[in-house]
Amino acid sequence: MGNEEAVFYSRILTELTLSFHILYATIGVGIPLMIMIAQWVGIKKNDEHYILLARRWARGFVITVAVGVVTGTAIGLQLSLLWPNFMELAGNVIALPLFMETFAFFFEAIFLGIYLYTWDRFENQKKHLLLLIPVAIGASFSAVFITMVNAFMNAPQGFDLVNGELININPLIAMFNPAMPTKVAHVVVTAYMTSAFVLASIAAFRLLKGSNHVYHKKALFLTMKVGLIFSIATAITGDFSGKYLAEYQPEKLAAAEWHFETEENAPLIMYGILDDGEVKYAIKVPYGLSILAHSNPFEEVKGLNEFPEDEIPPLYIHYLFDLMVTIGVGLMFISALYVYAVGRKWSFVETNWFRWILVAGGPLAMLAIEAGWWLAEVGRQPWVLRGIMRTEDAATTSGQVDIMLVLFAGLYLILGVGSVVVLRRMFKKNPVEQEIEDRRKEKGGDFL
Amino acid sequence: MTDFLMFYAPFIVLIGSIIVAFWSATKDGPMRNKK
Amino acid sequence: MTLEIIGISVLWMFLFGYIIVASIDFGAGFFNAYNILTRREHILTNVIERYLSPVWEVTNVFLVFFFVGIIGFFPKTAFYYGTTLLVPASIAIVLLAIRGSYYAFAMYGSYGHRGYTFMYGMAGLFIPASLSIVLTISEGGFVSMINGNPVLNYSSLFTSPLTWSIVVLSITALLYISSVFLTWYANKAGDPSATKLLRKYALIWALPTMITAAGIIFELRSHNAEHYTRILDLWWVFGLSFLLFLGTVWFIWKRRKYGLAFVLLVGQFALAFFGYGVSHYPYLLYPYLTIYDSFTNEAMAISLIVAFIAGLGLLLPSLYLLLRLFLFNKDYVRGNKDHHA
Repeated sequence: MGNEEAVFYSRILTELTLSFHILYATIGVGIPLMIMIAQWVGIKKNDEHYILLARRWARGFVITVAVGVVTGTAIGLQLSLLWPNFMELAGNVIALPLFMETFAFFFEAIFLGIYLYTWDRFENQKKHLLLLIPVAIGASFSAVFITMVNAFMNAPQGFDLVNGELININPLIAMFNPAMPTKVAHVVVTAYMTSAFVLASIAAFRLLKGSNHVYHKKALFLTMKVGLIFSIATAITGDFSGKYLAEYQPEKLAAAEWHFETEENAPLIMYGILDDGEVKYAIKVPYGLSILAHSNPFEEVKGLNEFPEDEIPPLYIHYLFDLMVTIGVGLMFISALYVYAVGRKWSFVETNWFRWILVAGGPLAMLAIEAGWWLAEVGRQPWVLRGIMRTEDAATTSGQVDIMLVLFAGLYLILGVGSVVVLRRMFKKNPVEQEIEDRRKEKGGDFL
Repeated sequence: MTDFLMFYAPFIVLIGSIIVAFWSATKDGPMRNKK
Repeated sequence: MTLEIIGISVLWMFLFGYIIVASIDFGAGFFNAYNILTRREHILTNVIERYLSPVWEVTNVFLVFFFVGIIGFFPKTAFYYGTTLLVPASIAIVLLAIRGSYYAFAMYGSYGHRGYTFMYGMAGLFIPASLSIVLTISEGGFVSMINGNPVLNYSSLFTSPLTWSIVVLSITALLYISSVFLTWYANKAGDPSATKLLRKYALIWALPTMITAAGIIFELRSHNAEHYTRILDLWWVFGLSFLLFLGTVWFIWKRRKYGLAFVLLVGQFALAFFGYGVSHYPYLLYPYLTIYDSFTNEAMAISLIVAFIAGLGLLLPSLYLLLRLFLFNKDYVRGNKDHHA
């Protein structure tokens, strides 16, 4: 196997692992907050439905977290196995947040174990809720620290490279790089948003399948409200990311927006296809790109003509950008419509066709997450560490990457199918109506 | 201004959205009246 | 004490932690599978499940901590070990993934199936076997530099008696550690039949552990004479470790003080493990890599150590809480109450 092949397969394997891991990681970051919100509302309103909601979500969460943990271990090791040259350099400069991530994860794991095994153990429910706070914090901070590493890959700083030697290393400056705030905030709020819409999908699906229990209605209303708020936050942080890109990674922004020539009053190109270097069937939003890049409709935005040919990312990332933004904005509008309509008691929200749209929301949000990460990673090419190290120079020289690719593809297939089968069984065997009935018997009459 | 949007505003939005999410979660009037 | 020594000590400590908790975990899975296959599941399943359920995720973190930490403190290891370990480490990841996820699937999703239980038990033996290869490689002689890149020589690795004795040691030690701990745990849970069975396992695996450990030292004499001499210089550490071993076996034999027996066992392995580590010093990979030439810069080292201390301040109380609520909680251990979500 030549080194070109090793680079190729290393890229495919990393892409596969990340694409699979990110599904579970996103849920893993978002669901603890959702559980916390539900349990908090339940305690505050003394409403057993919300408590039960939190409890059932927690049960399902264990399965996804297990897959998240093992695939996270896989990507953690694969970084060193597939990109040893990159990790050697990264280890010197950006190891701190990586190291802190393991602590955050450790913290989360310990308290998750405690939380899961102490339902009803405390007289005072609030004490039990307290145990969830470290889980949610640990989960979110895992995302924060890992995203810091990814941000560093986009905007490396905190060291000087003199004759191939790293000097003047400052780990804190590397951590707090300019890409960090927008990236961290966007990753974390999209994780919350996606988790909310995934849980909303489940509630909508149960309602579609004939259950008319108020439990599912409460679940749907709660998750749609939360989803709406985080989708608004997602749009805002996405806009900030545009401003960051314009200043620090203009080639990424220009490639994603098909902005070929530097110009003022730059329009934003939505959709369309690229035919022989010409954009066709696109919608041009006048001044859109200037606003996105500089919050000023007349300002100049750098185009691809300013960069050397071999430092421009692949132009297909525009489709990924479109996909991500369309889904994100679409979900924002659908959830806003739903929340407003429920408040107004409009009946169309109870129709089957509208509920099918809500069911689609969860998978679509996941797709948007994938598109966003592909955009972020492919948009950084040809660099693994922007301006410092090219992807092809970072890869392993080992000759067995192709076999490992097959091995891991098999693993992810097993894990993916396994987790879905287990989750379905778990909730089928113990439907919520049954559980509410059981709890009523247990507690006596004072149950909803 | 751009610096503010790039460095501080993202965290303000993040924390703000969490707080608003908690607040809005308790507003479940429409789900109660129906019962 | 130099920063290099602090760094490697911290990492070595976590690796030791992983070896103990993972051994208990893997061994428990193996004993459980063995008993289910021989239709005696009722004896052990309960005790093992009560112990494993709240801590399974924590076990994995020790390992992650170690490999993330070693890249942080000794970035050059990414280049040497990252390149050479692609296949063995990938196999270990796959086994860990199957084992970790199916544990959750079976436990919480009631996805119990004899085939999986068997796989789960066997994976627990293969993981340490594949991970222990790293220790073998670190002894040198299996990696050669070709065009400036390290390449692992598989045929000499798999035909070396050293490789296989380390593999065997990892398995015997795992079963021994696990059975001693579980004897204590079953005794605390007030389960005499489980205690009796686990005590038997502990006594069965004690001697093989000691024999393979001694065998490795003997094989090092021809494989890596430098390391062998350094081990002999530390003879008293290994001697002390052997005394603790005798103590454990004695208490288990006499059916007394299982708790103390386990503490002595941890002491025995700690002494042996640190003795091995110190004699390995300063090499991370004979003869290419020492802790000095692979060390990170001072700023990173200091910030990692600060982060480590702050992290410990957070973790130790949490771990204590975890142990107090489950491991050392009588009601929980005896299975009087089940509060699982």
